[in-house]
Amino acid sequence: MSFGDFLLKNLQQFWELTGFANAEVGNFVMLAVGLFFIWLAIKKNFEPMLLVPIGFGILIGNVPFNTEAGLEIGIYEQGSVLNILYNGVSAGWYPPLIFLGIGAMTDFSALIANPKLMLIGAAAQFGIFGAYMVALAIGFAPDQAGAIAIIGGADGPTAIFLSSKLAPNLMGAIAVSAYSYMALVPVIQPPLMRLFTTKKERLIRMKPARAVSQNEKIIFPIVGMLLTCFVVPSGLPLLGMLFFGNLLRECGVTNRLAKTASNALTDIVTILLGMTVGASTQASQFLTPQTIFIFFLGFMAFVIASSSGVLFVKLFNLVLPQSKKINPLIGNAGVSAVPMSARISNNLGLEYDPSNYLLMHAMGPNVAGVIGSAVAAGVLLGFLA
Amino acid sequence: MFVLAASATFAQSRKALRINEVMVQNESSIVDDYGEHHGWVELFNSNFAPLEISSVFITNDPNNPKKYPVPLGDVNTKIAKRQHVVFFADGQPDKGTFHMNFVLEPGKDNWIGVYDADGTTLIDEVTIPASLVKDNSYARTVDGAGEWSVRDGGKAYITPSSANVIRDGNKKIEEFANRDENGFGMTIMAMCIVFSALLVLCLSFYAIGKIGATVSRLNKMNASGVDKKEVDKKSVTHDSGEEIAAIVMALHDHFNAHDTENTILTINKVKRAYSPWSSKIYGLRELPNRR
Repeated sequence: MSFGDFLLKNLQQFWELTGFANAEVGNFVMLAVGLFFIWLAIKKNFEPMLLVPIGFGILIGNVPFNTEAGLEIGIYEQGSVLNILYNGVSAGWYPPLIFLGIGAMTDFSALIANPKLMLIGAAAQFGIFGAYMVALAIGFAPDQAGAIAIIGGADGPTAIFLSSKLAPNLMGAIAVSAYSYMALVPVIQPPLMRLFTTKKERLIRMKPARAVSQNEKIIFPIVGMLLTCFVVPSGLPLLGMLFFGNLLRECGVTNRLAKTASNALTDIVTILLGMTVGASTQASQFLTPQTIFIFFLGFMAFVIASSSGVLFVKLFNLVLPQSKKINPLIGNAGVSAVPMSARISNNLGLEYDPSNYLLMHAMGPNVAGVIGSAVAAGVLLGFLA
Repeated sequence: MFVLAASATFAQSRKALRINEVMVQNESSIVDDYGEHHGWVELFNSNFAPLEISSVFITNDPNNPKKYPVPLGDVNTKIAKRQHVVFFADGQPDKGTFHMNFVLEPGKDNWIGVYDADGTTLIDEVTIPASLVKDNSYARTVDGAGEWSVRDGGKAYITPSSANVIRDGNKKIEEFANRDENGFGMTIMAMCIVFSALLVLCLSFYAIGKIGATVSRLNKMNASGVDKKEVDKKSVTHDSGEEIAAIVMALHDHFNAHDTENTILTINKVKRAYSPWSSKIYGLRELPNRR
């Protein structure tokens, strides 16, 4: 072999390893999706904390390479760096860490002051089971249907946790769908809220919440964890961490831990979770007809969840005295997209009455939605795992 | 308490070891590493975590509980979660870890016991009936639990080193798929559970709120030395944040204070950046605050 042939042969081998030689149409489609997510995050400010890591993760996961070369670079290749980082998603330990952070940054006062708002958070979980029925009708198996339906809980970590247990092969699509719709909450919810409420109902003013004592705030995570986990032990990883984080925040003697859990730890895990979930959407695994169904079901789940929250408040108002009526605009906040859906309640309320601030009232069902979706995930896990 | 709890946990993990299936007379079932047929005893780890069984004792003599100690230093004595190992009863322990120093006797009742490392704590035991014929096994109906039954290798499989119940699908999911095709059952059950969980939480916090308010009122009565009616009059009226804000705004308007500043005063906190990990303050225990 001449020196020229030697150079040519090696360059040819190198070419076969490049992305250009291995690219398929699917890769470019997914790269476009990744760029769209990044555009939405940066230009439209749609949940940038989620969509930037996911969008860039999609770019990382869809750079084509020769999968038969055994380079250990792909997210699905055992031993690769991305695969090691992805373990937190596939083994389901990132979501409980995120829940620890959510607990450490959530003030449950609104819920403690007005506990009946918890029921709105429960009602919104109809979205999950409505989507479950639709998924079964489309032809998904019960475990897959359960994993897809949890998108209706509007809780990314919960969706990832449950799908990693029930349908690991669908996890990428479920996670991206859940986070996408969470980012689109400001688009999906307001038309439904207008559709199901009258102008008179939108003007309902709610009594300001009572002051909540420090002792109540400390008792809440302890009693909350014990009661919910005794009912649904399979929700322990999520609920246990959520309430633990909240106890760190409220007990007053672990400020450093609460600060770390709610800032540094959550940020680190969010970066890793978003990036690896994005990277898991390799075109070969992601671009299937099932993904389209999952996105459709995710949308259905969000619509049902938001509607059932609003309709439940209207129903609830029938039995409440005039002075204790609830503004149905906070019903949408039962889906646990914290705090986006509560913010939407507030904004829509202000649109009809500029002095009617609903934010604190909406935070009650909003955080109840977090608890409710974790309980629902535990129920699905208990029944179907 | 911690020591008690720790020892209970340890004991519990070893107690998860189960005798799962036994064959006394083996003529055509599995062979050992040397290609020979011997009676065998299958142990099952019923834990959902790996279980190390070295130093556990297996015996066929109730008067000699330490008859065969499972040797130390063999990685294969760590049984994965919900998995099995087979020990051959060939009376030739020099052949390796899984060859015991006793044999099972056909035509007689064979008692087998497994003792913990202390040689006194019986973990599990079984008596194999004398009626068990050759190439039949005596096995639990469900791995690690349930009744014992004779297996003849026909429809009742003989399953050394594998599960006594062979699962070819997820029964729960199949049942849901068959009996709850449209998902109504799941929806009703799951929503009832979700509502119950949050309803219980809701009622608990109504109760806790009431108790808290009562305690707070009693504290106020004690502090101010007044009776219940007076406290009720004084307290409830000023609990609302909105009212307090309204009073503050009214006072602000009334005194017209701080309205005419023509300069902007900025107070910028200057702080030297440091890591709390290197700070002595955080390395020391704080004294409790006296209130």
